Amino acid sequence: MHVPDGFLSPAITLPAYAISAPLWAWAAKKHFGHAATEALPVIGSLTALSFAIQTIMIPVPGGTSTHLVGVTLLALLFHPLVAFVCESLTLLVQALFFGAGGITVLGVNALAMGLLGPLAGWLVHRALRGFSERWATLLAGYAAMQVSTLAVALTLGLQHRLAPGYFPMPIEVTFTGMMVPTLTIAGPVEALYTVFALSLLRKAQFRGIVA
Amino acid sequence: MASSPDPRYSRVLLAVCVVAVFAVSGTSDLRVLGVAAAAAALAFRRGIARTTRRVLRSAVPVTSVLCVASWGWLWLVTARPPATEPFLAVGLRTVVIAFVTFAVLERVDLFRALAPWPTLTRLLVVTLAQIHALRLLATESLLGLRSRMPRKPGAVDVVRGAGGVSGALFTLCARNARDVSDAMRSRGF
Repeated sequence: MHVPDGFLSPAITLPAYAISAPLWAWAAKKHFGHAATEALPVIGSLTALSFAIQTIMIPVPGGTSTHLVGVTLLALLFHPLVAFVCESLTLLVQALFFGAGGITVLGVNALAMGLLGPLAGWLVHRALRGFSERWATLLAGYAAMQVSTLAVALTLGLQHRLAPGYFPMPIEVTFTGMMVPTLTIAGPVEALYTVFALSLLRKAQFRGIVA
Repeated sequence: MASSPDPRYSRVLLAVCVVAVFAVSGTSDLRVLGVAAAAAALAFRRGIARTTRRVLRSAVPVTSVLCVASWGWLWLVTARPPATEPFLAVGLRTVVIAFVTFAVLERVDLFRALAPWPTLTRLLVVTLAQIHALRLLATESLLGLRSRMPRKPGAVDVVRGAGGVSGALFTLCARNARDVSDAMRSRGF
């Protein structure tokens, strides 16, 4: 669901950077200092995994594509801010080396896919894990996907509202084009991936980092 | 990435690139975008064929499909053909931004430029190393699948083998993570 470069104007991308930059600095200081030497390679592995599953993108009408995200796992294992930094890093690598997403839209994509989605998933998991760990993980993956897509759709809708000549797709069209595949296909697949991966990671026991 | 002996040059070029792509992203006039495209081609004429090929392979297919699908979808919803200029502008903006980004990246040493931010460098190095490991694993898995089958594996075979590959992927990630962790500790991180 990356928004590509050129689809959003600086009226949206610059404020997104203004919000993201202090969060990146705070998250890096809090979670990626010298104390994180043990966790860093695991985080790097999961970031690479998230990168791998995000490379399969299906373009959808409305200005973006649909694909799995895979960083809800990081939010559940570590913290939503760790997921935010890792997703930002994935987006940076994709933008610089593979031409997916882009530099100007990095802040928007990172906030939508790296922060809002995983945060929603983390909150759902925290709220429901008392009932059933597996169902909580499943719903966390699903919720994260829906919230991320909704955020991207709303941002593109806002761009159309600000300058219809710049981005010609109205919000109704963008919203339908993006939410239908996410609600029906990408959301359930992301939920299943999160459950499967979390269960495998716990079995693999990443040197006691994964509980 | 061609390495430059001076990291300051890389940082300056990166900063200019960021300003330029933001300026292009704020433009919706096709003529201005055409001028920007011509200026970019002139400024980065060395290696233009390679950069153009890279843009054609990466940014153009996705953007074209997105623009055509959006245009068609809008036509379907509104029951009349929408104007093509805004979609052309969107496509051209994306192409110019991708071209400038790739052209600049070929002229800078990213890791030297990022040296003042060690955490970012560390994260980037670990991630790129793991991505490389994953690509190797994907290639090996495909070769393994091919060697075990009398015919070329189809989509169904790949999906069937996905479970086993995912398991191997996580195991490899765990092993890599331990190796990298040990290497980092031994270097004083």
